[in-house]
Amino acid sequence: MDLKVIDHATCTFCGCVCDDIQLHADDERIHQAKKACVLGKAWFLNHTAERKYPDALIDGKEATVDEAIAAAAEHLYQADMPLVYGMSNTTCEAQRECVEMADHLGGLLDSHTSL
Amino acid sequence: MGGKVTCTLGEVKNRADFIVYWGGNPAECHPRHFTKYTLMQKSPFLPRGRKDRTMVLVDIRETKSAKASNIFLQVRPGKDFELITLLRAMIKDQPISEAQVAETGLTIEQLQDFVSRMKAAKYGVFFFGMGLSMTRGKHMNSAALLTLAAEMNAFTKFVAMPMRGHGNVTGADVIMRWQTGYPFGISFNRGYPRYNPGEFSTVDVLVRGDTDCAFIIGADPGATMPQPAIDHLAKVPTIVLDPHVTHTSKLARVHITTAPAGISAPGTAYRMDEIPLPLRPALKSPYPSDEEVVRRIKEALLEKPDWMGERPQMLQNQI
Ligand code: SF4
Repeated sequence: MDLKVIDHATCTFCGCVCDDIQLHADDERIHQAKKACVLGKAWFLNHTAERKYPDALIDGKEATVDEAIAAAAEHLYQADMPLVYGMSNTTCEAQRECVEMADHLGGLLDSHTSL
Repeated sequence: MGGKVTCTLGEVKNRADFIVYWGGNPAECHPRHFTKYTLMQKSPFLPRGRKDRTMVLVDIRETKSAKASNIFLQVRPGKDFELITLLRAMIKDQPISEAQVAETGLTIEQLQDFVSRMKAAKYGVFFFGMGLSMTRGKHMNSAALLTLAAEMNAFTKFVAMPMRGHGNVTGADVIMRWQTGYPFGISFNRGYPRYNPGEFSTVDVLVRGDTDCAFIIGADPGATMPQPAIDHLAKVPTIVLDPHVTHTSKLARVHITTAPAGISAPGTAYRMDEIPLPLRPALKSPYPSDEEVVRRIKEALLEKPDWMGERPQMLQNQI
């Protein structure tokens, strides 16, 4: 089994965002996260590349991503005061898209910080 | 939080000889904070590393972090603001009363010692956690501590930094500030961004029932918010983007599984000192990234007739 080694990987589990982690991974999962602390190790090792969940759910039933995107857009479009919330466990690139979407919707935009 | 006196963790690592953790438990919540940034590192300015640094922990409980500290100050719960105000008076030699000191659960000797150590420091830093910013007084506590840090600069170099929690919350603040001018609690309903925490912050909005559709990304309010807020999420159409089927997904109308950022989705995340760092995903995910899904939802929205009528998009600087 071939392990690829990724140097200077970044852990985003806590606000330290350590960027000196060495990951040993195959196609399926990460086997080792060197330099990471217990929390970071658990975070890296608990995620796998397998398909654990359905692609999407609409009203609790399995659906394709395309259908779910259309349904999400329709719900947001029909709403008078949609709310865009969260944005903690995601990338800045996705956050930027969220801001633009909230702006276009004329809705509310908020993150974890306000709790 | 505009105008705060702060620095990067690199500066702390190289220069800070007086480190105060206030209302946080880094030993368990930010395990590598001590070793990587604050206590253990040696530098040209602090050649003996830990021995050249003093660490103070201010908290209501003796947590694991207390073991790592030189001085532990156990403040009475809910009295942080009073304590900070006393310290602000003491550094300027203003009179304070015994009753005021007794109220904080500390002694006058402890406070005097703390003040003289603050003033004697070459580079002091306050790290404040949720124990300060989420208890009685909330953001007024943070503001008081930031003011104390600013005022200490009349005597020596002093800075303050919030200990931000998990994930990329700092990034969310930064991105919203960049795009709208405000860090959170924003409404676009007049066509331009307005900021009013308490009115536009999510818990309040949900508890009042002021939203009729919720889009949740990278968060699980179904597990963390008060029950009335969760009830409202279950009532309105809720859309969830998450790598897992979460508590919120279970009460949502639409759930889309996305690739976890940093594990199998690339991008950028901000460290708590607002330094952006690139992610290096190790795996390939069968799921699309958050970025891609949000962009596609947004594009689907753009195809629909604009219910606001003719208008320019307020934020033109999407680059
Ligand atoms: S390795 Fe540990 S300290 Fe570093 S970011 Fe991950 S969880 Fe935080």
